[in-house]
Formats: sequence, C-alpha cells, structure tokens
Amino acid sequence: MRRRFAARLGQSIVVTFIVATIAFVAIRAAPGDPFSYDRLSPRARDNLRQQWGWDRPVPEQYARYLANIARGDFGYSLVKQEPVSTALTQALPRTLLLACTALVLSFAIGIGLGVLQAARGGWFDRVSSAVILICYSVPDFWGALVMLTVFALWWPLFPPGDMVTAVEHDYMAAWPAFIDRLRHLILPVASLTLLSLASIARYQRAAMLDVLPSDYVRTARAKGVAERGLIWRHAFRNALTPMVTILGLTLPAFLGGAIFIERVFNWPGLGTLAADAIEARDYDLVTGTVIVGAVLVIVGNLIADLLHAAIDPRVRDQHD
Amino acid sequence: MRSSVSFIAIATLLTACSGEKPASSSTVTGGTVILALFGDAISIYPPSVVDLTGRLVQDQVFDRLAEIGQDLNTVGDKGFAPRLAKSWKWASDSMSIAFSIDPRARWHDGKPVMASDVRFSLNAFKDPKFESPVTALVTNIDSVHVQDSLTAVMWFKKHTPEQFYDAAYQVIIMPEHVYGGIPADQMRTSPVARNPIGSGRFRFVRWEPGVQMELVADTNNYRGRPKLDRVIIAPNADASASATRLLAKAVDLADNYPLARAGELDTSSVARRMVWANFGGVFLALNPNDRKSKNAPHPIFSDRRTRRALSMAVDRVAMLKNVFGADGKLAHGPFSASSPYADTTLHPLPYDTIAAKAAFDSAGWRVGANGIRAKNGRPLRFAIAVSPSPTRRQYAELLQAEFKKLGVQVDIEAVDNKTLNERQNARDYDALMASFVSDPSASGLRQNWGTEGIGPDGQNFLKYSSKTFDALLDTATKSFDPATRQRYTSRAFQTILDDAPAIFLYDLFVVQGLNRRIVTAPMRTDEWWANLADWTIAPGKQLDRDKIGLKPGNP
Repeated sequence: MRRRFAARLGQSIVVTFIVATIAFVAIRAAPGDPFSYDRLSPRARDNLRQQWGWDRPVPEQYARYLANIARGDFGYSLVKQEPVSTALTQALPRTLLLACTALVLSFAIGIGLGVLQAARGGWFDRVSSAVILICYSVPDFWGALVMLTVFALWWPLFPPGDMVTAVEHDYMAAWPAFIDRLRHLILPVASLTLLSLASIARYQRAAMLDVLPSDYVRTARAKGVAERGLIWRHAFRNALTPMVTILGLTLPAFLGGAIFIERVFNWPGLGTLAADAIEARDYDLVTGTVIVGAVLVIVGNLIADLLHAAIDPRVRDQHD
Repeated sequence: MRSSVSFIAIATLLTACSGEKPASSSTVTGGTVILALFGDAISIYPPSVVDLTGRLVQDQVFDRLAEIGQDLNTVGDKGFAPRLAKSWKWASDSMSIAFSIDPRARWHDGKPVMASDVRFSLNAFKDPKFESPVTALVTNIDSVHVQDSLTAVMWFKKHTPEQFYDAAYQVIIMPEHVYGGIPADQMRTSPVARNPIGSGRFRFVRWEPGVQMELVADTNNYRGRPKLDRVIIAPNADASASATRLLAKAVDLADNYPLARAGELDTSSVARRMVWANFGGVFLALNPNDRKSKNAPHPIFSDRRTRRALSMAVDRVAMLKNVFGADGKLAHGPFSASSPYADTTLHPLPYDTIAAKAAFDSAGWRVGANGIRAKNGRPLRFAIAVSPSPTRRQYAELLQAEFKKLGVQVDIEAVDNKTLNERQNARDYDALMASFVSDPSASGLRQNWGTEGIGPDGQNFLKYSSKTFDALLDTATKSFDPATRQRYTSRAFQTILDDAPAIFLYDLFVVQGLNRRIVTAPMRTDEWWANLADWTIAPGKQLDRDKIGLKPGNP
C-alpha cells in the first residue's frame, strides 16, 4: 500500500509538471499579453514586454519560471497587483469553502436520494428522477442567475452575492458576523450542489439496483433481515464503492462549475481568479491557478484511490 | 494620444433623471455608496492608470493643480477652478505659469503639499520608463522650476491654446516623499503603488483585489470634507448579476446595466436610470493594408470608391433602432455628439443603395452568377473581427446582412478582447469593430487619425493619413479663437467622412442604475464621478450601512 501511494505521488508530480508546462506555453501562445491595452502605444507595450522578459524565447522564460518556482516564487500578478502566491492563498480557501461544502451536501443528498429511489421505486422514483433530470439539464450559469433572482430579489431570503455584507460586516460582533457569512454561502453552495446532485443520485441509484438482486441480499432477506437493515447495512455498503470513484471525478467538475457560480455570486475564489487571469493574459497567475487546480484534482483522485483501496479488500489485495 | 480607443473613459455625459436636485449646497454628510463597476483597476498609481476604475479612484484620492470647468473649455485657463494651486500667474510671454500652492493643502499622511511635489509629478509623467499613456500629452511642458516651497513655475516649449489644460488636466500631483525613492521599473510591483497617498477629498483605505476598494472621507481636507463618509468600489464581472444586486440594495450603482433590462429601472422604486454618453463611438475600421503582407494595399479597402460604396450600403439609422430601440445615438463622424467639438451638421455618406451599387460597379466589383461581386476573379469577400460585446456582435451580423444585399460576402470572426486588441495592433484583420473614447480636446484626434499618430508612439492603428486632415486639424488646434477652432475641426472631420476609412456607427453610451436614495451633484460631462464627493444621502433615506460613520481613529 505504501509503495502504491509512493508511486501515485510520483505520478502526481509528473502530471502537475506536464499540466503546468502546457498552461505556461498555451497562455503565451494565445494572442495578446498583459500589456495589450488600447491606451498604450506599441512602443510602450514593447518596452514593458522587455522589462518583464516576455520578449525572450518561451523555453528561456520557462526555465526562469521553474527556477523561481524552486525558490517558492510563483511570480507577480499584474491583474491583482500582488504576488501570485498571495492571490492564490486568498482565493483558494474561498473556493475550498464553497466547493467542499457543496461536495459534502451533494454527496449526502445525492446518495440518500439514489438509495431511496432504488429502494422505493414507483411514483417516488419517477417524480424524483424527473426533478433531478430538470436540475441536471439547467445550464450552471443560468441556474445560478435564476437562484439569485428568485431568492435574493423576488423573495429576498438571502443576500444577492458577495462573501459578506459590504461595510457592515466589519462592524458585526463574532456571532452575527458568522451568521452573515453563512447566509452569503447558502445561494452559491445551493447552486453548486444542484450541479452535481443529479449525477450522484443517478449513479447511486444504478449501483443500488445492481446490488439489490445479488445473492447475498436475497440470502439476507431470506434470513429475515428487516428491509431497512437490508438496504442500509448490506446493499448500501456495497453500492457505495462506485461512489468513491465518482468522488474523484466530481472535484474537477466542481472547480469548473465554480468559475460560473463565483462569477454570478461575485465570490472572489479560484474560479473568478482563473477567469480574470485568462481574460487579462496574466501569465504567472494563469500558470499558478492551473497548477493549484491540477494539484486539487490530483489530491482528490489520490484520496479517492486510497479510500477505494481502504473499503474494497480486492483492490487492496491486488496492489499488495 | 489624447484620444484613446475602447475602454478608457475620459469624456462622459451623465444625464440624471428628472426631479433630482443638485446637492452641492447641501450640508448633509454621511453615507456609504457602493459602486459596482465593470472590472477591477489595473493600476491606481497615476502615471500607470489606464482604465476607468483606476481613473475614478485616482480622481478621488489625488488632486490636480486646477480642475477643468463644467463647460470643459480647454483653451487658456477660462473656467478652471483652483485645486492644489490656489492661484496662478502667467508670464508676460505666456511661456511659463507660476502656480501658488494652497498652504492648507496636506497629503493624507499629514505632510504639506510642496512645489517640489509638482516638479516630481511632472517628471514622473514624462519619464519614459513608466510608459505612461499621458507622456505623449505633456510633451509641450518643458520643466518645473521650484521658486519657493509653495510656488512651482511650469515652463512650456511653445505657447499654445491648450498649455494650461495640458498642465492642469493631465498632470496628477503626487507626493515626492512617498513615491520619490522607488525606481520606475519597480513601481508596478511596489506595495506603495497600490496604497496611494494623495491630497483628494477621499483617502485610500484598502484594496482587496477582485473584492473591493475602500475610500473614506478625508475630514480635514483643505477643500472641505466630502459629503459621503465612504465609497466602496466593487468589481462585478457579470452585468446581469450586478443589476440584480442593485435592485436588492446590495450595491448603489450598477455600471453597464444590461440594455435588455434597462426598462425595469424606469418602474423600480429602488433604482433609477442614468445614461452616461461618453465622448466615444463605435466604428467599423476598414484596413487599408493587406492583412497578410502588411505593406501591400488591401485588395478591397485600399480603393476609396469601394470604401465609400460600403459606407453607402449601410442603413445606420435602421441598425441603431434595431439594436438600441429609441435609446441609441447615431454617430456623425469620428467624434461623439456629446464632445465639446462635435458638429452634428456634417454630412456623412448617405444610405443610398443605388449609389453604392454604382460605386461598386465603377470600382470594378461586378455581380457574378452566384450573386457575389468579384473583380479579376477575386470575390468581394472580407471578414469582420468583433469582440464578445453583444451589441457589437449584433451590429456585425446586421452589417453582414446589409452587405449581402449588395453582393458583398462577410464572415464574422468573433474573438475575445485581447485577441481583438492584438489583431488591431498587428493589423491582422480586414474589417474590425473598433471604438474610440476621446478627452475634451480635439487635438487628441491627431493621435488617432493624424499622420503623426502612425508609428510606434501613436495610436492611429488604421494608419489613416491625409495631408488635408492634418493641416486642418493643425490649424484648428493652434487657434485661440473658439469659432475658428470649431470651423477647422469640422472641416477636418468632413475630410475623414469623405475618405471613408471607417463606417461610423453609433456613439458610445452606458446605461447605469443608481439607487434612488442618492442625490448626485452636478455632473461634469467628461467624468460622471468628478463630483462624487458632493453626492448626498438624506438622513431619512439612509440604510444601515450609511449610518455606520467613519471608522474609529479615522480623523
């Protein structure tokens, strides 16, 4: 197991390096650069490019970038007017708060719903499947805008975006400040949860339907195990294994979805940062956000792998 | 470089809703205004400011020597109001102006404003290492001589009608003791550049990139405390979400209100509509050179007859109604109708499809069997490059349809802003949906349309060159007589209209939503934010955030 972990770690480093290299080259291959403003003359732009070393060949720029990374320097963001590491350390926790909360909620609700659909069947399965399909079909951006309009404007239960109430939050006591933060979290988390809830529920339902006709379930039923215990203690535990794989795949979807959700709710996280950086051709920031995104995805998959091995003895034995 | 293309808003016209009275005489103080602007500032260090948000912040935190008047006169010093300079005295030969610094003026760190700060500021704006877009605008200012601690004498190379305007409008005065020790090549990354210390009526508090910037009232300011306590500038990437936040009272001003939703402002009890018609316009630029081999003439647009035919093929009035309904403003030429030097009596080429067809025929573009015109086997086909702006894309599609009627095939190349900008600079396009925004002086048009604007330091990206235009504009800008200036400027514009290097489509304007509890001060036509410090909120209409007051410890 330890060897497998070490091997996966080594693979992860190689993958991160490849992803960072692609991001570094791709953003430089895109037309424009951070100084492509209308108001700057061509000569001023050329001088600034020279000052920042962007007139040098890409391999040379990359070698310098790697040398800086080795020293822990991710470069400077011209969009954010601060070091890339500062911008990332500010944005990352915000996105993690959003994504992790939504991840937990979507898995909790999705798995529960999937199990109930498979176990109950009938009208509950049909109605909930239809509702889930509708949620699944709604484009993320539009869905978030609808949530914003309905629950912040027409029926103003929640704040219309931002992480906290501007100005007033600074003057709140600890508890009201916490509640304020929580209230601002609800709509973006709900939007992001709805994004993946449907697919998780569908996967869980299918996994349960696969497991329920199994011999051991039939045997347990024949032995007189109560239906509730049969579903949750016997069938559910075995149907959970595929969900661990889904967990690893859901994380990239959450990071992608965060770009839209953060934009609509003015949530200054990694998604907004990446979108702004790409739009402004903020070279170092683009590469930095891609590296962080890649690391998150790799870590998510690594955790999923480890969990998989932990809960499925066959996987563990295979690697041991 | 007085005028610039695209997103820099230098000149504006803000039309407030009827029924609002100016609050300049009001003594009401307090309140917080949250401005949801489209995008964060790129820089707030004055010589590096290139965007609207940066300019707004700069104008609240820093002062100039004198402020341009409501009428935006740029000739001489008529209408200019004292700011850091409490008075000024012209030399007998007009080659220098002695500015007397207001002895009450203090920087936000408490140190007095000195004449040496004026010298430092001019040198910073002129320093080529800063690559300031203002550098080209202050070339006529030679130097500043510090006569005594409160007298700065500004010397000019030539006596020109706009030398005072150059000195007062373009040069922002900055504290030498704060910025003086930082080398130019380190300024962009210096923390000092993002924590400005100025002498304006608002002091800078903090900048959380992508989240907000906070300005608070400088209660001891030599020009008096601002009427508002605080201004929050919050970047908003999504216009529709920003509009919803305005109606939910989370922000007070939503910039770039979606046109499709603008109607809801007229019936809303929360917010009202404002229209900011800046000194800019949108046009279809026709590249005179081949996009592949840059020095070869463009196979279509190098011919004046073909350019004129294309101009006459476009029903600009119908397109305007189609896109903007009753709100749009038709372009009259390479200027906005709201600019001080506008002349709406000029004669753009009319919409005349018969004349257009004849012009195409005479230029050798004949209709082929497939309905597309061709000359020597080359079809009359070109591409229009356009940014993601929905309005401009709509216009590109309408132009495509209009041209098709006359046998011209158009492909639309939809690209992002940076790509469009890069193609514009590299001249890698056939036709391109471009925009300009100019400042109060027509002399800036030299940089956009004059021969001197061609080259690495200019902004004449179309490489339009006309000796007639150059001579007329030169005569106009050298004249001290307003009537003569206008007459020659108009003739210069007519020259461009006749040459048709571009098709001028519509004047730029932005719909904004403003919370109804806010009473704006008299609006200056170049910058809607110019009198932001005098906006007020009546005590009876204040929200919770208005009542917070200044933070403890803030003077």
